[in-house]
Amino acid sequence: MTTLDFENVAFSYSRDSFLEQIAFSVAAGEMVGLMGPNGAGKSTVLKLAAGLLAPKSGKVMIAQQAVRSYSGKERAKQVAYLPQLLDLQAPFRVSELVRMGSYPQNGSQALTTEEALHIVGLHGKARTQLAELSGGERRRAYIAMTLVQGAKVMLLDEPLASLDIRYQFDLYRILKEIVRAKGVAVVMSLHDLGMGALLDRVLLLKEGRMIAQGAPGSVLTDETVREAYDLNGPINGYLAANRGICRALARPASDNC
Amino acid sequence: MKRHHSSTALVSASLCAAACCLIIMSVASGPRLLNPFSMDMETCRTLLAIRLPRTVVALLMGAALGASGAILQGIFRNPLADPYVLGISSGASLAASFGLMLGISVFPLSVPILAFSGAIATGAAVVVLGHGWRGLKPERLLLAGVGLGFLLSAVLMLVMTVAVDDGLKRAILWMSGDLSMVDWELVPVGFLFIMTGFALAMTRRKGLNALTLGDDIAHSLGFNPVRERFFLFVAASLMTAAAVSLGGVVGFIGLVIPHVVRRHAGSDAAIVLPLSVVGGGALLCLADAIGRTVAAPLELPAGVIAALIGSPYFIFLLGQKKSN
Repeated sequence: MTTLDFENVAFSYSRDSFLEQIAFSVAAGEMVGLMGPNGAGKSTVLKLAAGLLAPKSGKVMIAQQAVRSYSGKERAKQVAYLPQLLDLQAPFRVSELVRMGSYPQNGSQALTTEEALHIVGLHGKARTQLAELSGGERRRAYIAMTLVQGAKVMLLDEPLASLDIRYQFDLYRILKEIVRAKGVAVVMSLHDLGMGALLDRVLLLKEGRMIAQGAPGSVLTDETVREAYDLNGPINGYLAANRGICRALARPASDNC
Repeated sequence: MKRHHSSTALVSASLCAAACCLIIMSVASGPRLLNPFSMDMETCRTLLAIRLPRTVVALLMGAALGASGAILQGIFRNPLADPYVLGISSGASLAASFGLMLGISVFPLSVPILAFSGAIATGAAVVVLGHGWRGLKPERLLLAGVGLGFLLSAVLMLVMTVAVDDGLKRAILWMSGDLSMVDWELVPVGFLFIMTGFALAMTRRKGLNALTLGDDIAHSLGFNPVRERFFLFVAASLMTAAAVSLGGVVGFIGLVIPHVVRRHAGSDAAIVLPLSVVGGGALLCLADAIGRTVAAPLELPAGVIAALIGSPYFIFLLGQKKSN
């Protein structure tokens, strides 16, 4: 059963069309990557899925209902969204931040704050100020908040940006475990072609259009990647090396890659 | 997590106990020390007619300013936001100073009514100017408040330069947070407005926390950021307007008290709002007690003393934060 559906969605920030004919579905328990060059429309797709933006035409459905027709609380139970830029100076302690995930739940939260902190490996830092955490730890604290929120769809805008390779794989393993254990659908935008190869499916965007979607092996090919990023010359070697490194690093904690 | 809750409870209990002590000290101290254990008729009269209303007004004003500061710092995501950044106090000052300098203040309650009207009108103007095509955005609201505040302050300076001496001195005292003229008359109305604003803010405490993380995350958590910001802005404006009309302009409390509370008790609005009320009330009580005691019979404005006490502590906190 699909939890997120884009039905021929178009969107524009001004008169000029920005996204055209975007159509895809994401099922429960899937990890899907949104890829493409800067300005391709990845963040806009995530904001449309979160109900932050209204489509010009077409439908954005979460659990067979238009996302913007939900009440705020009901929408928050269905979909959680984390923007790329997280507030560096938010004055909260880790536990205060994570507890906010329970706001839409009326006391019946999917996970306790302690459980969520344990999953993301921050159980010893509940009282630490967010500003005192590293970039990767802060990102994990926000992920813990969305775990407590218990939404069926997690939308993450470049969650791997500015993380070193270790934190990238830590976060990948955490998300993989959440998808496996809770049946959550994860849609994330990312740039790393090797990391994209580890996901269940990839959607490749260019200039507001979907130019390819499907299993990473069929989408992240020499031809489509060159077309998406306007690259000259073959990049087969680059793609194979990236894929190899990422699979090797992901293997110890995940048997799916 | 239990340790966190118990340390917050300890900080809250300590702050409340310290506030109680300061209130008792404020009632007893002044040009003449009152002994609560041997009260004659005159002492009783002094207590009921002068000390108690003054202490109650200081408590209400400090409480309102502390809570307003906590709200505004959250909705603007700016640690320097306070009730005076938004121009609300400038609007109140201008309206009240007109009353004082043009002699309208001979009518009972005219100055507080003018101040309240000026504050509310300015708050409404800031909302209208801050409302862009994408709703009430913090940066636009802040710029509207700062811009309007500068304009109103400039007009106020212009009025003061052409004012007569007597009215001018009273206006300056009023703008320094002088509580020497307060009585019971305004307390019930002020209390009502401040409690309304505080109750509204407490019902929106989760929205305030979420807004502190940014509009996108607030939306993700199920809030309508524009609506939450509007209600919280109304709550802060009501409390600030009531505080200014009770006893004039007192700066600094709205800026520093929320920082002190966050440092010791965490940043959850459910804790910060009530503790800012207690802390703000206690600081202004202390400032007023010192102001009427140290140079008696001369009285120093409570707003000036509050800034003199609070500023060094604020700088000390900044120094500690840097070393951490």
